[in-house]
Parts: sequence; C-alpha cells; structure tokens
Amino acid sequence: MGLLFCFLGAISFGLLGSALKAAERKKANAAGLIVSMYAWPALIMLVRSLLLKSGGHIPGKVWATAVILGIGAAVASLAFQVSISIGKVTVGWLMMNLSSGVAVVASIYVYHEKLTLLKIVAFGLVVVSILFLCWGQVMERRTVSAATQGE
Amino acid sequence: MWFLLMLVMFLTNGMSAFGLKMIAAWGLPETVKYPYLATWYAGGLAAIALPMLLKGMRVGKTELFWGAVAGALSVGGQVAMAVALGSGLPGHVVFPIAIGGSIVVVALAGRLVFGERMNRHTVVGVALGSIAVVLLGVS
Repeated sequence: MGLLFCFLGAISFGLLGSALKAAERKKANAAGLIVSMYAWPALIMLVRSLLLKSGGHIPGKVWATAVILGIGAAVASLAFQVSISIGKVTVGWLMMNLSSGVAVVASIYVYHEKLTLLKIVAFGLVVVSILFLCWGQVMERRTVSAATQGE
Repeated sequence: MWFLLMLVMFLTNGMSAFGLKMIAAWGLPETVKYPYLATWYAGGLAAIALPMLLKGMRVGKTELFWGAVAGALSVGGQVAMAVALGSGLPGHVVFPIAIGGSIVVVALAGRLVFGERMNRHTVVGVALGSIAVVLLGVS
C-alpha cells in the first residue's frame, strides 16, 4: 500500500513538471503562472493554520525563515519556468531535484551531520552530472549555430 | 542566460527546502509547519506578484488554469508521500522512488509529448543526475 502511494507521488510530481512545460507551450506568462501556482497552496495552508486548535507563540525567526526561503523557492520556480522555454524540461526538472544536494551540504555544515561514503558518491555524481548537462547544452548550441550558418 | 538560470535554480531551490529541517532542529511543535508553510508560500507569492503589479501585469486565464493544475499536482504528490511515510515505509525508500520516479515521468513526457531530443552528453548527465538524486534520497 505504501509503495503504491510512493509511485502515485512520483507520477504526481512528474505530471507537475510536465504541466509546467505544457503551460509554457500554451504561452503562459511565467511570472503569472508562478503567482497562480503559489496562491492555491498558500490559501490551503492558511485555512489549515487557522483551523489549528493550539495557537501557541511562534518565534520571529520562524516567520523570517519562511519569508526568506519562500522568496528563494519562488525565484527558483520562476527560473525553472523561464529555463524550459530555452532548454529541455528534463534537464530543468533534474536540476531542481539535484539542488537537494545543497540542503544536504547545509545540514552537514550547520548540524554537523555525518559525511558518509554514500553522500560523497552522491555529491560527486551531482558535480559530474551538472558538468555533462552544461557540456550537452554547449554542444547543442554549437549544432544550432552551425545549422544556422549553413543555411 | 541558461547557465545563470540553472545556477539560480540550483542554489535557491536547494536552500528553500532547508527550512523544515531548521524548524525540526529548533524543537518547535509539529503544528508550526502549517503557519510556516502558509508564510513560505505567501512570501514567494508576494515576491513575484508585487513586481507584476507595479508593472501593471495581470494573471490571465491560461496562467490561472495551469497554476491550479500545477498546485493540485504538487499537493497530490505531497499527500501521496505523506501517506506512504505514514504507512510505515522509511524515508530512504519513499523519497528516492517519488523523486527519482518523477524525473523518469518528466523525461518520458519530454520525449514523447513535447518531442524534446537530447544529445549524448545530456543523456549521460540526466542518467548520472538521476542516480545522484536517488542516492541523496537514500542517504
């Protein structure tokens, strides 16, 4: 049962990336799309927060962290939406997910989490993968520019 | 331009997910995550909406529709992962399947629906990156 929901989650997130590409093909304005995309969950979470029974004190650092990181996430979403109009959706989506490595590095630095062999291998693969993705982009540009010059 | 967008996306998105970890480390109650996420989304919304308003831009029907679809799929994915975790499956099983699987779905849609072709370098990058994402989820 749990595994079924894992796969449903994969399909749901995968369709999310595909829906954003479909929106780009439909010429949706990137900023407008992100505003709409953030408005719905903001509303749901606001209602959920208001329904909470325990209204304990929430420290200021929680609000500050939420605002700063929320702005960061929106900037990332906007960058993703603009990038898929220039490059490939698969590469953009992969880059969004590879960025989880940044949070892992931050955890190691801030919370002194153990740097395991598995993490070192994963970080190595992240770096090599990004190099190949950039190389692929450069090669594609060369191919396009050669084709343009040949016309 | 593409390289700059990738760099911005990599750094900002990477740090944005770190907040829930910080809250957990501060030892605050579990229920704090709802007002935290409401503020998180509202902060992001305001950061993009305010410049749009100042420029006199509007959100059209296309953006509203696709934004709602994306929002619903995002919430659906989160709920599915929460149910999977709630069923007793450990995080090192749930996250690699959900995140690694989503990359496969997007890659298939990119090729079959949107007709995107990747050169060899990009294919190798995507393959290695997918393995890296799964390993990061496992670790």
